[in-house]
Amino acid sequence: MHVVAAVLLCCASGLALVCAGWPRQLPLESDLLLKVSLAPCGFGLFSIIFFLCLPLSFSSLILAEIALLGLLVASLFWARSRRATVATAKVRRGKTAGWVHTGLLGSFGVSVIASLYSAVARMKANPHGLGWDAFAIWNLHARFLYRGGPDWKDGFTPLIQWSHPDYPLLLPAGVAHFWKYGGNDSPLVPGIVALIFTFSTVGLVFSSLSTLRGRSQGFLGGMVLMGTPFFAEQGSSQYADVPLGFFFLATIVLLCLQDDPARRGSGLMAMAGVTAGFAAWTKNEGLLFLSVIVLAHLVMFVRRGMNSRKQSLWPMLTGILPLLVIIGYFKLRVAATGEMFSDGNAILHKLLTASRYWETARWFGKELFLFGHWWLVPGTVMLAGYYFLVGKKARGVSESGVRSSTIALGFTLAGYFAIYIITPYDLHWHLRYSLNRLFLQLWPSAIFLFFMLVRTPEQALGNG
Amino acid sequence: MQSWIPPPELRETTAPPHHIRILITVAATALLCLLSTLRLLTGPLGALPLQDPTREIARHADERFADMRRALPKRGVVGYIGDSGQTSLADYYSAQYALAPLLVERSINHSLVIGNFPASQPPMPALADKNLCLVRDFQNGLFLFAKKDNN
Repeated sequence: MHVVAAVLLCCASGLALVCAGWPRQLPLESDLLLKVSLAPCGFGLFSIIFFLCLPLSFSSLILAEIALLGLLVASLFWARSRRATVATAKVRRGKTAGWVHTGLLGSFGVSVIASLYSAVARMKANPHGLGWDAFAIWNLHARFLYRGGPDWKDGFTPLIQWSHPDYPLLLPAGVAHFWKYGGNDSPLVPGIVALIFTFSTVGLVFSSLSTLRGRSQGFLGGMVLMGTPFFAEQGSSQYADVPLGFFFLATIVLLCLQDDPARRGSGLMAMAGVTAGFAAWTKNEGLLFLSVIVLAHLVMFVRRGMNSRKQSLWPMLTGILPLLVIIGYFKLRVAATGEMFSDGNAILHKLLTASRYWETARWFGKELFLFGHWWLVPGTVMLAGYYFLVGKKARGVSESGVRSSTIALGFTLAGYFAIYIITPYDLHWHLRYSLNRLFLQLWPSAIFLFFMLVRTPEQALGNG
Repeated sequence: MQSWIPPPELRETTAPPHHIRILITVAATALLCLLSTLRLLTGPLGALPLQDPTREIARHADERFADMRRALPKRGVVGYIGDSGQTSLADYYSAQYALAPLLVERSINHSLVIGNFPASQPPMPALADKNLCLVRDFQNGLFLFAKKDNN
């Protein structure tokens, strides 16, 4: 019963947060699937509240959640009461040619059913997740937070450095929060959380592309993601890469929605800041993404002139700041120092070793072709062929969100490359066991941006 | 003889070449994705091979360490010694996973030391040389040792 209440509270908080940030000129019920797909933001809020209330009692935790939900609902109604006088903006939707739409709808439906079935089967077969990191890092941290009581910080000491005590806590704290409600540390919770993030990512790719580019594009994007076997495998692994990929995607989608004149508003930018902050609270790679997304936006801000962008930059920073304070507190006051940047001389030596660049570049090149464990044709090759045959869409009036997101994604990838150059671990081992997961973090966002840039089937059929 | 010119409605039924190219591309992409998704249903249920040590160890850790967990203090740090085989790391991680929030350090320099020997017998003479005496044998490959000078 308590768990049901927790789930409802979590979903309601997520939805209230998203609706509060949605452009107020649009009706509350607009973009419903998109808003529902963004609801896992409630999990981010849950993890933050749990972390902040760790020294407090369970009843204080519940009170804090109810207060936060109340605050979000109040801000939602306040924003609605200030509804702009502009007539309800028309939601742009691509018209789909009947049978192309029907064919894609059918294939998409089969893909969803097959993916759901295999994901649930995997979760049942592997209740503690797949591989080391699930139980040796993420669920272990969750256990320290749930079972540790006043000594929860013990789990983040250098004594067990192998468990990466410097990793942020979105996933462990969110899972521990649900355990607290349930009264036990059931492995079902991290399993279900993993499935929710997996299918919310699919839902977000589908709904955002449907909203911005038309249903066919949404079906195709969703099918490419579900058709990536590695995504499905990792989706039930209970690792943090799929949740991180979800928050990357959410940030990029929110930035691109901002390009649509019907949806322009500071709320979406603040939400993008919040989701970028959640990414940084999920994994250390999220901090890199947060930095480059702000930097990419800053570059656009400077290029276009301060006035044109000032309405969007500050709300974004407002969304990021509270999360950065919490992450800073965790990193500086709780977590043991990570191993990555511990030896300055070794880093310098590695930066000057040419063979490390060559080996890393070789792995990146190989992964680009083999990524995803696709059957028959690699996904990246398939998309390159699709781009060549269907073509790029005509350039729109405002595409700053797409451009800054593409730049940010590129720089994030470059950052990953740099991390491998200076890694304190054996380079071959590190690349072998983590590179595919780093690619996976960017994959949903890459699919989204790809289908934002190529022509829809209807456009290609209409214009040749 | 005058050549036959098809009426407009008939002319429109013949798709231009680029239409066919687009339709084939979209259909092939959808088919490849669908096949890749459906293959998940026929493949093994997980990315790991069945003999991977992590698969079963994590699953049975709680059950195996339940008695030991009750016998140990709730908080603090204990030492750890275990098998040196291929699964030694997984054995150690599973001990920490099951016994959290107690910290398990892979060292014998503690007053209480866990012995985890699922595949062999603990080297009693060598442990005695290190001043470790057996406190309890949990009968499932798990042992609890204490430092003699701390008793």
